[in-house]
Amino acid sequence: MDPTRIALFDLAERRLAWTERRQAVLAQNIANADTPGWRPRDVAPFAARVDQAGAGLARTDPRHLVGTSDTSGLAKPIRPTGHQPDGNAVSLDQELTKVADTDTTQSLVSAIYHTYLGLFRTAIGQGGASG
Amino acid sequence: MDLEKSLAISASGMQAQTTRLTTIAQNLANQDSTGSTPGAEPYRRKTVTFADKMDRALGVELVSVRAIGKDRAAFPMRYDPANPAADAQGYVKLPNVNALVELADMRAAERSYQANLSVMQTTRGMLTRTIGMLR
Repeated sequence: MDPTRIALFDLAERRLAWTERRQAVLAQNIANADTPGWRPRDVAPFAARVDQAGAGLARTDPRHLVGTSDTSGLAKPIRPTGHQPDGNAVSLDQELTKVADTDTTQSLVSAIYHTYLGLFRTAIGQGGASG
Repeated sequence: MDLEKSLAISASGMQAQTTRLTTIAQNLANQDSTGSTPGAEPYRRKTVTFADKMDRALGVELVSVRAIGKDRAAFPMRYDPANPAADAQGYVKLPNVNALVELADMRAAERSYQANLSVMQTTRGMLTRTIGMLR
């Protein structure tokens, strides 16, 4: 069985790749917090990708509720609070908040992956106690 | 792998802030370095500017020190005819270093360094958790 064909593993893998990429982008912002003219960057929110991939809830009846992929809290671009005279718009506290957010997400996804893998371990009889 | 790139980026940020701190230390240490011959120029304050630098091997933009420049501000003068650096009117040119400015800059450098360090620690935690998925 190819693990990448299981939807949850595939999703977790893409999410992990996304957190890695975001961490690199945020590290760049923080490293360049004193570079003249540097504008902070961010990657596109993951929810947008999931919607593109069609991984939302399936609707087989028009009366079904639409899956709520809550993007309101994530996708909102934070306006830079101010520019320094040299044109740098990095705010260290905002960037560090994003780093903490990415860290939490990565922790959650790896925990889910691990737990899900534990189910397979139980199924093949190696015991799920290692989780 | 992107997490290793993050580590490299944070390391370059810490390196740049270290250079900045070295320059601040030089400025502070030389805040009383006057010339030794009459009318000679004293120590001139050094400044650091940063620039983003593309790393071809990693394919990411690191940060680097672009230039260590000189502060072109005028030297303050002090009347001290006994000083060997005094000019014909008895005035000595003092270094254009302001200890308060340097200390404030030092605090800023420290804060940036800490931010880079904390990103590095977070990245390390993420790497550890990724490796932990194998267990």
